[in-house]
Amino acid sequence: MFLRRLLKNKMGLIGAGVILANILVALLAPYIATHDPLKIDITNQGALPSEENLFGTDEYGRDIFSRVIYGTRISLYISVLSVLVAATLGIILGSTAGYYGGWADNLIMRVVDAIMSFPAILLAIGIMAVLGGHIYNVVLALGFVYIPWFARVVRGSVLSIKEKEYIEASLAMGGNDLTVLFRHILPNCMAPVIVQATAALAYAILAESALSFLGLGAPPPAPSWGNILSDARNFMLDNALMTIFPGVAITLAVLGFNLLGDALRDLLDPRLK
Amino acid sequence: MLKYFAKRIVYLVPTVFLVTVMVFLMIHLIPGDPAALMLGEDATQEEVKVLRHALGLDKPLPVQYAIWLSSIFKGDFGASVHTKRPVAQSIMERFPVTLTLTTLAMVISLLLAIPSGILAAYFHATRKDYLFMGATILGVSVPGFWLGLVLLLFLSVNLGWFPSTGFVSMGEDLWEGLRYMLLPALSLGLYMAAVVARMIRSSMLEVLRLEYVTHARAKGLREWTVITKHALKNAFAPALTTIGLQFGALLGGAVVTETVFSLPGLGKYIVVSIYMRDYPVVQGSILFLAIVYVLINLVVDLLYGYFDPRIEYS
Repeated sequence: MFLRRLLKNKMGLIGAGVILANILVALLAPYIATHDPLKIDITNQGALPSEENLFGTDEYGRDIFSRVIYGTRISLYISVLSVLVAATLGIILGSTAGYYGGWADNLIMRVVDAIMSFPAILLAIGIMAVLGGHIYNVVLALGFVYIPWFARVVRGSVLSIKEKEYIEASLAMGGNDLTVLFRHILPNCMAPVIVQATAALAYAILAESALSFLGLGAPPPAPSWGNILSDARNFMLDNALMTIFPGVAITLAVLGFNLLGDALRDLLDPRLK
Repeated sequence: MLKYFAKRIVYLVPTVFLVTVMVFLMIHLIPGDPAALMLGEDATQEEVKVLRHALGLDKPLPVQYAIWLSSIFKGDFGASVHTKRPVAQSIMERFPVTLTLTTLAMVISLLLAIPSGILAAYFHATRKDYLFMGATILGVSVPGFWLGLVLLLFLSVNLGWFPSTGFVSMGEDLWEGLRYMLLPALSLGLYMAAVVARMIRSSMLEVLRLEYVTHARAKGLREWTVITKHALKNAFAPALTTIGLQFGALLGGAVVTETVFSLPGLGKYIVVSIYMRDYPVVQGSILFLAIVYVLINLVVDLLYGYFDPRIEYS
């Protein structure tokens, strides 16, 4: 039923297709890439696109096509992990705040407010500044920054579900808090969480590329899209095309999650529209 | 109204307190000795010790925080480890550039978003509306810094329409300054334009379903008059909150945009200071921008009441 409605949503379907293509590219990167993305070739620096190097080469003679292909891997890996971190922490914090209320609610929600008082990318930049450039530090930084997205919607859903009669019934029958929370409340909060997660993935891809463009993401020579663009910037007068491909790759990936996110939101949670 | 204002500010106190705690703890998250890290490998033991003392790192954590917070209240944001200049002074020199950039980006995005959002609602469910929706979803998917790079490459470097190096502030020479600011502001503001345009369209559609709009239509007013005179003011209120929140995205995005276009603003200063491991500068500047963001959202909340008088000030 749900799947059929999703299949009817053309935009959502295109989004899902783009995401699937991205996932396949990430998984099959070694088979799609024509070169080793890290291999330096000083005899072939700054080559224009050719049959040998589809997107040309960068200032170290590395094959840009292969780097962009491997970039899909880094980008998806970091964004999926960071959204998982944010969702897990957000669900724990949001459900505790919503279910128990009182001082726990107050404390947790003030912390969430404080996180939201920073422009998101600025907070991530600050965290990366102290932790240093590393893939898992990016996961931590983005995972932390996006906690409020999940904590707030989960708290809201828990608050509304908590009042329902079947929860009261379950508690009266001797169910303890944890069982009620995990069996009866959280499964009913999943719709908004999935909607938020899809949107957060789009943001995370953008944020990851911006961080690594600034030199605060996966450290070079890792072929993250932001790193390729940062290399391209020093070199764009000679090879303008080098700037185009990674940007198109980022846009496509983000577009996929945005299209799917919009479709899911319309289907699962019309209130958020 | 005044009571609401006071309440809203009191409500901010714990949040701002936690913001300061987070910024303060930042420097303590650094793996290893921050003082040694800031001075680099060439520093002697003695120099490290002096810096540790100067930064107060040799005192217990709560004491450090109390000292740090009380100097922040006095407007003392610490000093750069490298240049020894007060951070507050450097912020005040650079923030005008960032504020000009973000304000111009906001103006551009509202000029794009408000008319197009209204038109999309007017042409609801027609081909024009779908075209609009497609354009906005593309707008939220394009990374702003990449758009900036591409604009810089084609419009400045190749076509020479805009300067590609150097900087003139709009305060010195309004028109020349605008030539330096236009591309950065455009690339920074496009994302916000798309978000706000979608918001305007959807809240417009919601308002157009209300009875008072039907009433206005029944009076025989033209649809266009109904939209601009009657519906817009109410539809604008929810969009206002989005605009406030998006201003934060502009402040954060400015860090990246200023780096792309080499603008001498606070954002670029933060990035350069990170490279130089000048943590007091990073700490002070981030705290400053967070406070600016909090204040902007406070103003937005208060403005909300003007656009939507139904809000209860109690």
